[in-house]
Amino acid sequence: MSYVPIDPGMLRGEIGMVTRPRRRWLPFSPWHLILMPIALIMLTPLWSMVATSLETLPQTRHFPPILWPGDFQWGNYPGTVRAADFGLWFWNTTVVTVSVVASNLLLCSLAGYAFARIRFLGRGVIYMVLLATLMVPLQVVLIPTFLVTKSLGLIDHLGALIVPNLANVFGIFMLTQFFRTLPLELEEAARMDGASRLGILFKIVLPLSMPALTTLAVVQFMWTWNDFLWPLVTLPFNEGAYTIQLGLMNFQGAHTVDWNYVMAGNVMSMMPMLLLFLAAQRWFIRGIATTGLKG
Amino acid sequence: MKKHAFLALMTVAAMIGVACTKDSGSTAPDGGGGAGEVTNIILWQGYGANDLDNQGNPNYEAQSLRELIDEFNAAHPDIHVENTFAGSNDKVLQKLTVALQGGTAPDITYQYGSSLPQLAQAPGIVDLTQVVQDPSWGWDDFIPGARDAATFDGKILGVPALIDDLAIIYNKELFDAAGIGYPTADWTWDDFRAAAKALTDPAKKQFGFAFPVDASEDTVWHYDAMLWEAGGDILTADNSAAAFNSPAGVQALTTLSDMAVTDESVYLDLQNTKIDDLFNSGSIGMVISGPWALSGYPDIDYGVEIMPSYDGVNHETIAGPDMWVVFSNDAAREAAALEFLQWMTAPEQVLKDSMLTGHLPTRLSVPSMPDFAGFNDKFPGVGVFVDNLQNVLKARPNLAAYPQISEAMGQAVVAAMLGDKDPATALADAEQQVNDALALPA
Amino acid sequence: MGRLRRALTSDHFAGWAFVAPSVVLVLIFGLYPIVSGFLLSLQRASLLSPVREFVGAHNYTSILHDEKAKQAAVHALVYTMTFVPISVLGALLLAVALNQKIRLIRFYRLAVFVPVVTSTIATGIMFLWVFDKNFGLANYAFGKIGVGPFGFFESTGGAMPSLVAMTVWGWLGFDVIVYMAALQGIPAELLEAAAMDGASRWRTFRSVTWPLLGPATLLLVVWSSISALQLFDEVYFVTHGGPLGATNVPVFYVFKLAFQQGIGFPLAGYASAIAYVLFVAILMLTLVQFWMGKRVVHYSS
Repeated sequence: MSYVPIDPGMLRGEIGMVTRPRRRWLPFSPWHLILMPIALIMLTPLWSMVATSLETLPQTRHFPPILWPGDFQWGNYPGTVRAADFGLWFWNTTVVTVSVVASNLLLCSLAGYAFARIRFLGRGVIYMVLLATLMVPLQVVLIPTFLVTKSLGLIDHLGALIVPNLANVFGIFMLTQFFRTLPLELEEAARMDGASRLGILFKIVLPLSMPALTTLAVVQFMWTWNDFLWPLVTLPFNEGAYTIQLGLMNFQGAHTVDWNYVMAGNVMSMMPMLLLFLAAQRWFIRGIATTGLKG
Repeated sequence: MKKHAFLALMTVAAMIGVACTKDSGSTAPDGGGGAGEVTNIILWQGYGANDLDNQGNPNYEAQSLRELIDEFNAAHPDIHVENTFAGSNDKVLQKLTVALQGGTAPDITYQYGSSLPQLAQAPGIVDLTQVVQDPSWGWDDFIPGARDAATFDGKILGVPALIDDLAIIYNKELFDAAGIGYPTADWTWDDFRAAAKALTDPAKKQFGFAFPVDASEDTVWHYDAMLWEAGGDILTADNSAAAFNSPAGVQALTTLSDMAVTDESVYLDLQNTKIDDLFNSGSIGMVISGPWALSGYPDIDYGVEIMPSYDGVNHETIAGPDMWVVFSNDAAREAAALEFLQWMTAPEQVLKDSMLTGHLPTRLSVPSMPDFAGFNDKFPGVGVFVDNLQNVLKARPNLAAYPQISEAMGQAVVAAMLGDKDPATALADAEQQVNDALALPA
Repeated sequence: MGRLRRALTSDHFAGWAFVAPSVVLVLIFGLYPIVSGFLLSLQRASLLSPVREFVGAHNYTSILHDEKAKQAAVHALVYTMTFVPISVLGALLLAVALNQKIRLIRFYRLAVFVPVVTSTIATGIMFLWVFDKNFGLANYAFGKIGVGPFGFFESTGGAMPSLVAMTVWGWLGFDVIVYMAALQGIPAELLEAAAMDGASRWRTFRSVTWPLLGPATLLLVVWSSISALQLFDEVYFVTHGGPLGATNVPVFYVFKLAFQQGIGFPLAGYASAIAYVLFVAILMLTLVQFWMGKRVVHYSS
């Protein structure tokens, strides 16, 4: 998986497309016949969520389901916030996500640069060992990783979500690959002028690496924000440390048939991620296309 | 036992109880002991830290505990009971397990009666068998079913803290709308089935009855009561083999599967989370539940009646008692804990607790106390549950293998109610599993 | 002094200083658990107790007699063999469609991509609602065409297909993005040349596009299979492994053994053994897929 920059034009529908004259047997492209139903199916759960979040409780129990509430119950949102600690959950998730993303940018840059540019004793072996750990998914080592975290006294603290994720091998791998593609000349010139390794990394390499860093940041953000299994295991009792995913799960469990409130909570939980996606769509696309990984 | 009570034992629900051991020990008081000194003891309970819950509604159970403990502390200057909210009752067992691993334990903890087989192995648990023989405890005044549940392997390990039983709770409005009479004490299960069918209206998404089918102990104890009414039993008298795969067992399960599969008159709650809310919203005609559920039905006009019988005579129900369990940290604290516990479970305090919370009294003498007179007016419907305690004739076996027994029976009930197996096959399969589990050395 | 100075400015020192924080973290939270997890799988142990008893391969041989472990393995295979083809082939079709220059294309793309950033819990809540037996949209739609109502997650027969539907919804956009990137990498001249030669569009796709998408297809098949065999979040949140074990899958079973039933019983070692068997199975499958892939996939230089 090497780093292949993707042209943002792909999103605008300009690149990689074949245009050819074709005869028309429909007043519109036949592709619509495939795309329209699929798009509607994909959007149905989302639409149903938003509609339900604005309904009265009796409306949610109506059959057939109501997809346009008519009289919008905007009060469901403040009502939901009052009924549970959404603010606290957002805050916890933000603390964890920001810490993890910032730390990964720093630590993966340092390590990636060393692996890409500095010849040091044991470099090859260490690199291979790190990559080997990528082969083993968390699910397999859940129990021992949990035990390590427990022995560090992190269980039931936000630290349990932060410390083990401060440096992600995948990020190191990605940045190493990217740094190797950068031209050496600038760095060599700077070394001639007596610049330190750290100086070169921060003043020359990183400014050239904004695409890779942004990609790493959004992908890491998505993984951390949406993570479920690890918080589930490491925050057994402390509801004060819940992330939005755990909180949402508990909220749903406590209001199983209050679907309007549950959906209002669901919409709120998705908002930050969705806004970030809309704002940084091409970085997500690039991240996924190049990393080939979903959370 | 609160509704989801046993869930905790079976699934031992939420993650593991690994709150760092330092947390569980951090509140440990200085040992206490010498004359004139105050002996601090720690009490764990799962009802709440405040008189109000998160939503600002009164939490009468937490308030009652706090008031009684304050009253005891004021009257006993040499003892201080530290009232500690240990997370919900569902999690108290896990938390205790963790604390014990770290070598610390509370002096008194609230636990589900069903946890006793596991707690019996715990280091430091105090055997109360001799203690409660002292007439000042009035042990025989506790409800027999609760006393049985406090006993494991011949030893008394807990003092009853709460008791409840199952009865029919029905929505009067739906009965009126369907034009059928309310349940009576003479009802048979055929009457019940017919009413459930009449109350069901698929167009309105309205069901006559609802049943928890998450295969948890909540599923099982609903079935247990019916099994006993039909004349069956869970295990043989010597607890050596399954006895539920009998004509009585098949009859009881057939009632449930006929309603669920043939009549489709039962709302099957796979996750066991929706029944109370749906009943309160008027979508369900009858549920079989306990007194704790009544506070969750503020929106409907409900009535309560004892469970139907099969032969018109034998009404039984099932009780789920909770316990106070004592752990010994040192002699002074143990003595203080016992003194507190004896006071806490004495008739006067049981009365006060019942009058504030609507809990059924754990002692036989309490309903005849003069101050109990207002109970039925204050808690409409609970009176039926109080009287229904007389129908608690049997208890579930207190065995180390009980979790496996419960799991097998739960699967059988659910399989039959989902129509995946016929009742006889489902029970035969479960019988096999239970006998295998019982055959294993303890 | 000169020596120390030289050492401190040497590349060896700089390199190690740069990688040290990451290496320490990975050793503690990545490598050590892999080793200690394997040791744990050879022991009788509970997560709560420090007491461990070495039992050799006993945990591994016990798996052979464990009906629930077998059931979980079968479910994992069934799930993988439905989820992977549906999501990968569906994504291929969609990627080609979404690569067209037609009106509304940005709307279509957004509709397909948004589920990718939606969390499992949020997805689970939406599908519990849409697939609700009594009030859900799905049963209403099926009713319109005269079938159902279905129990979906609440029936033993419907739970697994419902899980597949839900996870395909969540994953499709991801696969589409990978495919679109690969499609974009195909030189336009190649396609134009084929068109010049008078090849039909289907033929162009068969003989030019599809072979060039080989590496992307292989990546997606391998990656989706790995993920499918590790299914957990959806099962934990939506079905709890039920009804009646109909969605019991390996990681869920491991979790239950270690973190739920393991409270009272020392099952963490056994759970760890199952996890390692799963790991080896995934590794083997991956190797087989790559080996087979190598024979049919042509990597362009």
